[in-house]
Amino acid sequence: MQYDIEVNGQRRQLTVTGRDGRFIVRLGEEEWSVDASHVAGHTLSLLIGNGEGLVVSREIPVATDPVSGQHLFGIGPVPVRVGLNVRRRFGRTDDAADGGSGPQRIVAPMPGKVVRIVGAVGDAVVHRQPVVVIEAMKMENELRASRDGTITEVLVQEGQSVEAGALLAIITPS
Amino acid sequence: MHKVLIANRGEIAVRIIRACREMQLSPVAVYSECDRNALHVRLADEAYLIGPSAPRESYLRIDTLIDVAKRCGADAVHPGYGFLAENEDFAAACRDAGLTFIGPTPEAVALMGSKTAAREVAVKAGVPVVPGTPDPLGADIGDAEMLAIAEGIGYPLLVKAVAGGGGKGMRTVTGASDLLSAVRAARSEAGTAFGDPAVFLERRITHARHIEVQLLADQHGTVLPFVERECSIQRRHQKVVEETPSLAVTPELRQRITSAAAAVARAAGYTNAGTIEFLLDRDGKFYFLEMNTRLQVEHPVTEMVTGVDLVRWQLRIASGERLTLDPQKVLTPNGHAIECRIYAEDPDNNFLPSPGRIQNLRVPSGPGIRDDSGATAGLDVPIFYDPMISKLIAWAEDRPAAVARMKRALGEYVVTGIKTTVPFFTWLLDQAAFQTSAFHTTYLDELLKERNGRPFVEPDASDETLAAVAGALQLALAPRAAGATTTLAAGASASAAASAGRWKARARSEGLR
Repeated sequence: MQYDIEVNGQRRQLTVTGRDGRFIVRLGEEEWSVDASHVAGHTLSLLIGNGEGLVVSREIPVATDPVSGQHLFGIGPVPVRVGLNVRRRFGRTDDAADGGSGPQRIVAPMPGKVVRIVGAVGDAVVHRQPVVVIEAMKMENELRASRDGTITEVLVQEGQSVEAGALLAIITPS
Repeated sequence: MHKVLIANRGEIAVRIIRACREMQLSPVAVYSECDRNALHVRLADEAYLIGPSAPRESYLRIDTLIDVAKRCGADAVHPGYGFLAENEDFAAACRDAGLTFIGPTPEAVALMGSKTAAREVAVKAGVPVVPGTPDPLGADIGDAEMLAIAEGIGYPLLVKAVAGGGGKGMRTVTGASDLLSAVRAARSEAGTAFGDPAVFLERRITHARHIEVQLLADQHGTVLPFVERECSIQRRHQKVVEETPSLAVTPELRQRITSAAAAVARAAGYTNAGTIEFLLDRDGKFYFLEMNTRLQVEHPVTEMVTGVDLVRWQLRIASGERLTLDPQKVLTPNGHAIECRIYAEDPDNNFLPSPGRIQNLRVPSGPGIRDDSGATAGLDVPIFYDPMISKLIAWAEDRPAAVARMKRALGEYVVTGIKTTVPFFTWLLDQAAFQTSAFHTTYLDELLKERNGRPFVEPDASDETLAAVAGALQLALAPRAAGATTTLAAGASASAAASAGRWKARARSEGLR
């Protein structure tokens, strides 16, 4: 089976064969035999053999990012952002700072309160201009336009509390 | 004393519940709307909703708290730290309602809560204070007069709010040209934060350490100082790592600084647990800074090296018991203890708060490790309160072993769904100055400024390869969970299947009987 995996924005193609938790994984020239199992649903335990008798044990907690829906794999103390089957699901991200041509959806990166909306529907915005300011834990966070455009929708009001991932505004690029 | 209302939340409420249980006292929790599922609510015998999530409407409502305490038949109130812990009106309201306030008298809270009045107490007790203005600056003081006063103290100096703490209403002034604007800014900040715009001036002691002395004082005149705590690792005036003992304190200095602390507490007529904070300069001279009239966040390190349960003693002192601890024993540390405050903050993004739902949580354990926490998997870290989720404490026979043990424990810490300061501590513990204890109160801020936002853990290529392998295997193990959001569903159904399996097995075994 072939899988497209996007790690930190870079796509890789891997081949996995085997079943019942015992797999051979190939990535380019490299190959590993892996005993993989799900522990308590959200944790992967991997016993990775290098083919020369060395078996490395790695435990990887898996979380989902409420904003992007991507997976966060706990490898070392900082989670690594992983997109699974990217060709199908993550073909193009709307809010990419370059290249993309679709509208930018400004979403709340964390639960908080909308303290300011800079501009109204129809207003022009420039690249990096703050559009919505949300407050969480007494800190203000500016959510900015990723390119020049026009505010085409504002879905929240000042003072409103929002959940992580809530859609706040839409900007159509010019 | 039979039933104790805990007027707090989070890890400290859990800590107090544990002490109550061990003393056969019934713990009562209070909670705001967003804390319905919090651990302290689940662990208490009784729990009462006290209002909306904003602290002003719940945990800071003196009238509601007193009302709940009376209605549920509590006979004592523990304020924890923060919220109303250093509010003399709350202490007085408890006393007026016939409730035992587990802390000092309202008079002692008021006296030591004013930084200028507290300095006066220290001076009377013969304890050195940082040179500064003895009284708050008058509201109508002229610019020329203010400049003359500052000249007399010398630069650099600090403008400090008389009320409050935590770095709010505080400004550093390096020369006469900044003085007037700094006083204006500090006054306005203090007015907003504490409702009292009064400020005073104090010389800034550079490269000083923050050394503090824990005290217990009973109602029969006994004041007992404990071995010092070293709290110089601070970020923007907030402690992030605390330890005991301090490598900068010799046995001779320990004798003097703890006696000075006890003298201040006696002069204030202080009872219950409290902490006297000092600055220790490079020449080994110490100065009284302020008193905290409550239990401190960092009290566990003292407990680890003395074997004394400070919260249990708070309850015993409040019910009138005499202190029976050996004064020499509590001044002689057994080994070394370090605490790291684990915050829901993103250290790689300028320590921005990272609230949200904790998806996965496994805390470290094993020899010498203590985790004081109010967090569990499935809980939301609310946006309304301090984002500290846990205190991780390591004890070992000496400092190098305690540092090594803390690093081991940080490596075991698994938390997903939110970002935490765990990677930052992993990095900090490796710094040469940390390992030799060659630091002072502005050391960390200077170090962070130098780093200029560089990530604490830089991902390397092998991590990314492993992530790709893990990603592919995640799909191979759960082919239907090909999308983003289905992993959790897959996990849930897996555990549902597992529990169904257990039920079937049970049914089978019962069917055989």
